[in-house]
Amino acid sequence: MIDVLRAALRLPSAKIAVGILIVIAFLAIFGPLVAPFDPYAQNSKDLLQGPTLEHWLGTDDLGRDVFSRLLAGSTVSVLAAMQSVVVGLVLGALPGLLSVYLGRTFEWITLRIMDSFITLPFLVFAIAMTALLGNGLTQAMVAVGILIAPAFYRVTRAAALTVSHSQYVEAAQLFGATTAWVVRKHVWKKVFPAIAVTTASMTGASLVIVSSLTFLGIGIVPPEPTWGGLLATDLGNLYQRPFGPVVPALVIIGTVWALNALADALKDATTDAGAPPVSKQKRRELQAVPHGA
Amino acid sequence: MTTDTIARRQPPVVTPADPAISADAAASTRPATPVRARADAWHHVRGVLLWLVRTVLIVVPVFLFSTFITFLLGAASGLNPAATLAGDSATPEMIAQLNAQYGLDKPIVLQYLDWIGGVVTGDLGTSWFNHTSVAELIGQRLAISASIAGFALIIGIVFGTLLGLVAAVNQGRFVDRAITAVASFMSTLPPFVVSIGLIVVLSVWLHLLPSAGYVPPQQDFWRWLSLITMPAIALSLDTVAEIARQLRTGLVATLQENYVTGAVVRGLSRRRVLFGHALRNGAGPAVAILGMKIPTLLGGAVVTETIFSMPGFGMLSADSALRGDVPVVQGTLVVAIVLVLFFNIVVNVVLGGLRPASRRVR
Repeated sequence: MIDVLRAALRLPSAKIAVGILIVIAFLAIFGPLVAPFDPYAQNSKDLLQGPTLEHWLGTDDLGRDVFSRLLAGSTVSVLAAMQSVVVGLVLGALPGLLSVYLGRTFEWITLRIMDSFITLPFLVFAIAMTALLGNGLTQAMVAVGILIAPAFYRVTRAAALTVSHSQYVEAAQLFGATTAWVVRKHVWKKVFPAIAVTTASMTGASLVIVSSLTFLGIGIVPPEPTWGGLLATDLGNLYQRPFGPVVPALVIIGTVWALNALADALKDATTDAGAPPVSKQKRRELQAVPHGA
Repeated sequence: MTTDTIARRQPPVVTPADPAISADAAASTRPATPVRARADAWHHVRGVLLWLVRTVLIVVPVFLFSTFITFLLGAASGLNPAATLAGDSATPEMIAQLNAQYGLDKPIVLQYLDWIGGVVTGDLGTSWFNHTSVAELIGQRLAISASIAGFALIIGIVFGTLLGLVAAVNQGRFVDRAITAVASFMSTLPPFVVSIGLIVVLSVWLHLLPSAGYVPPQQDFWRWLSLITMPAIALSLDTVAEIARQLRTGLVATLQENYVTGAVVRGLSRRRVLFGHALRNGAGPAVAILGMKIPTLLGGAVVTETIFSMPGFGMLSADSALRGDVPVVQGTLVVAIVLVLFFNIVVNVVLGGLRPASRRVR
């Protein structure tokens, strides 16, 4: 695991990505504490201000300090994305692994369930489920978790399938290895990196969905500050503060980009690590294999 | 979430599309005798039938299960027409009477069967709010979403194909790396961020395009076009990036195949090799992505529609969900599910048609 991480971090883009993620993690943990103003405090004297020394990112239409709201909103935005990934991981990876071992009926049923999850329209379903079931953060997280579960199911199942049909696993079984032992010893080594890559990219995806939901005022209800909610407020005041959305948008884009870059670096590192060194020409040929064709 | 298991499942065994190709292959591999031809025809029909059976066996359970999830949402919400209409002032008798009227006093499975029976015949129920038929409501809104999605799709196909082609032809050079980098950046941009950016630049600063509203094309075509331009661009970025990336991957792989080298050796022009030979086989992944994107573009535009104040399909669903209008929400979800399944089947058929005859399983 360590060598994979080290290999992944050799890429400059991965270094930048980890840097960004550390900053975001700091914001999420300490943001509400270091916020210079009360994120809920309204001030009718300073409405819709531009950036000043006092208010770094200006104030919104109720005179609230935007910088403080951005900091205070970090925790819930990041946590919501991470929690929905955990839901997706449990709902997807576990059946994905078991589908390889629990026989064809279980396999068929889980495949059809995942197909059904995929046919659910992404944002519409998240909105419908959250709004109909009480408009809370928990409902939103479960909805997003259901939507991203098929991604986890697919990669886990694919990784487990390739290992369980490999010769060294067959050899181990001939020597009397139990399924549990094979899973712990061999399958896990292939499945874990695949899950790590998917976790990174799905955290980015669910951050976008959670931001979209909060942008619409669903799941987390205003005045509680969120990244998406900040953008919604800015949208109403574009003519007075056209620069308003820039920083919240950059924070969202930066985080999503960092997560995707990290996923790419991890993917490269896990496919390269442990394999014999290949020439540039050979690697290009290997990469040229079309996905899903 | 770009490819999915439905798309990844192998395309149909033998497809009815493109008789020219299969005839070609048959002629080149074996002598055409009447017996052979009859056997081939039977083989063909059996392949199509097998594919149909297999598709039905997958699509029907998936349809039933995903609609059941949709239905359960309504049942689990505990909402009922009386509470939705009258709020807290609803009396228990009123609730019971309206529940009976809407069939909500029956067991859930029976309710589901009633509802899905209606869905199959095109009856999506009536709204709890204004007693309009849900199918009619969706029909009105779908035109708006279709305008945006259609325009976004055109942008996506044109620019995605262009970028993908240029990148594949210049594989490994600066242009290729630049396009790949731009594409991967574009796909990280959430539509609502792009929408706000477009409004700031094109409406607030340059006063080029109106920032919100909708007019039907019959009423004022140019106004309609100017209104749908920004939402379409915002929605299309992801499609542009995805098509460019998949087309590049597919084409790069195809351009390394022996038959392409053969065509080059025989002295065919680069253009002819690219468009006549490679594109057909390299387009597979891009076509698959396209099929996945169409339903997303139609149903997933909730945020974009809200930003540009376009009363489309997505907004109908979101508004109804917030109001607690369960039948409308269920109706929009079912329509979206049907769209996804429909385009999945279309993609499979098209992919089967694109596949070289030699690789079809016989």
